[in-house]
Amino acid sequence: MDFIKDTLADQFWFSIILSLAIFGGIMTAVAYCILLERKVSAWIQDRYGPNRVGPKGLLQPLADGVKLLFKEDIVPGHIEKTLFILAPFISFVVALIGFAVIPWGGAFRWPWMAEDAAPLYCQVATIDIGLLYILAVASLGVYGVVLGGWASNNKYAFYGGIRAAAQMLSYEIPLAMMVLVGILTTRSLRLEEMVTAQLGVDSAAPMAALFGLNGFAWTLFYHPLAAVILFITALAEANRAPFDLAECEQELIGGFHTEYSGMKWALFFLGEYAHMITSSAFMIAIFFGGYCVPGWTWLNTSDSVLAMLLRGGVFSFKILLFIMAYMVVRWTLPRFRFDQLMQLAWKSLVPIGGALVLLQVWILYKDLPQWVSIVGNVTILAVVALIGVVVQKPITGRQRSLIKKERIVRMREALVQRG
Amino acid sequence: MLSQQLVYWAYGVGGFGALCVYFGLPKEGRPERRGLFVLLLAVTLGGLVLLFDRLLGESANRFVFSILALLGVGGAVRVVTHPRPVYSALYFILVVLSTAALIIYVGAEFLGVALVIVYAGAILVTYVFVIMLSQQSTEATESRFASVLDYDRSAREPVWAVLAGFILMATVAAIIVKRDWSDWDEVSAAAMTEKNTLELGKMLMTEFAISVELAGVLLMVAMIGAIAVAKKRIPHASDAVESPPRGEVGKTVDPF
Repeated sequence: MDFIKDTLADQFWFSIILSLAIFGGIMTAVAYCILLERKVSAWIQDRYGPNRVGPKGLLQPLADGVKLLFKEDIVPGHIEKTLFILAPFISFVVALIGFAVIPWGGAFRWPWMAEDAAPLYCQVATIDIGLLYILAVASLGVYGVVLGGWASNNKYAFYGGIRAAAQMLSYEIPLAMMVLVGILTTRSLRLEEMVTAQLGVDSAAPMAALFGLNGFAWTLFYHPLAAVILFITALAEANRAPFDLAECEQELIGGFHTEYSGMKWALFFLGEYAHMITSSAFMIAIFFGGYCVPGWTWLNTSDSVLAMLLRGGVFSFKILLFIMAYMVVRWTLPRFRFDQLMQLAWKSLVPIGGALVLLQVWILYKDLPQWVSIVGNVTILAVVALIGVVVQKPITGRQRSLIKKERIVRMREALVQRG
Repeated sequence: MLSQQLVYWAYGVGGFGALCVYFGLPKEGRPERRGLFVLLLAVTLGGLVLLFDRLLGESANRFVFSILALLGVGGAVRVVTHPRPVYSALYFILVVLSTAALIIYVGAEFLGVALVIVYAGAILVTYVFVIMLSQQSTEATESRFASVLDYDRSAREPVWAVLAGFILMATVAAIIVKRDWSDWDEVSAAAMTEKNTLELGKMLMTEFAISVELAGVLLMVAMIGAIAVAKKRIPHASDAVESPPRGEVGKTVDPF
């Protein structure tokens, strides 16, 4: 009995147990995300969605999994076999190992631990560079996509892989900039410290809490624009709609996974859903207060086991809300064309991101109060809107140099030509 | 003279490594010597393990260190000897990852992760891109060189390249081996406890501020140059006074 208690009180063994628990939890969550996706799409399109397997269709993920496992695993001929098999695993593993630094429940102590003992962290690894680790892991995700496309020995799959890789590389830049804004605002690279900075209780904290509520000093309120841009880039990084060019079957013959089938294909998609969960988790930790519940001081700061479990629950609930947002976006917005997607990243998000980083650096350098960033955000938004009104260029590339009148004239000419 | 003995060990291991690389280098028309290559690689890696064992003594870190170091060395050998560039690039990623792990293991977390972000996440992606754009994947058939392009079938100057590499490696290895590593555990423990990312940031922004600025300016200039080179104005139908001849794909884009 003492052995078990000691093992649980040791951060190393606790981390190993926690990582196994998280792995199981994430795999279940991913399976049910797919059911949720189908249900949400059905509700949005006024259908029922899957409702035959089990009560209300709740066992559908099980049926899907069995189907995928028993499906014939078609490996096309003339392919690069090693890389073809390796690629989906890279995608999947890279999406999973990001969970190591997510602060699920903060610091706590077991009841049998001494009051003054060093607290345990409900987090697999508390490292000095948590956020950089996530960025590094995310930057490796490109390989799964580009190798999968190339190894298929199919030109369409290859172009799909190049397209998806270019998209991921482009959106990594505004993503990193927004993460930098988060780092500069909370003044830490450790995710657990970023969350505690958003408690906003003590006067030394960089951000003051809204209404004086404990746990309501979310970075979101100080950098709303950065949070929105981070959400957009997270959509693009996970290859989700409206950036899911890999799934244009009609227009682009699919993407990097055109030649995949069965469980290998499923691994790409499990990776995508796991990526959704990771990206929402780290967005929540940087911008949405992590496990904090506004005004509930006991839950936000207590070191009891119950509080830790509740914090984990709050974190998971916030993730669920984000996943719902992802899904509503997917089933509401149409897909971007590729040039529009690139222009959005390089001509809008990167300049705005640079402005936000400069704003936050200026605040730190001049030692200004943090609320200046709200004014700055509104100003940047106003300037961007003003530029949009003055320039009056649509973000679509092709009709760029045509003014409205010209477009109507050309349309008329075209109609006349067709008779 | 333990350290002198270790230097000979290092030279010996380096020599085996050089032979291994030489026999592993692709050469068309030469009978395949994969068995010899694998044997020499095994001897080299085994020698390295013994060397690490002598060097690190009873240090608790030697197992993890040995595994990561062997991964790095083995990957590096394959970077040089693999006849297909895509696989060379992938082995390079393995080398970068294991090196980053080693760096993190001695407590320089920021450096290790920066290595992964910069090399594995950015530079090698462009390598892989370029290689893949220039070579379509092909079927791997029975012959080792069937799927390899002409200019990748033979190493150019295997003897001189291996010799130069051996001299470089032997020099570096001898210097590393001669140092007294008995304080290694204490040094790494001291590095682990400090907030070294913070310290690194402070140092870069105070002592080396000008170097950081210069590097930044250099990268900026390179980026502007790349954009200037890549930017090609596509004339639009409405831009030109007379429309360019029909049928030239990519020169004109007619909206309707």
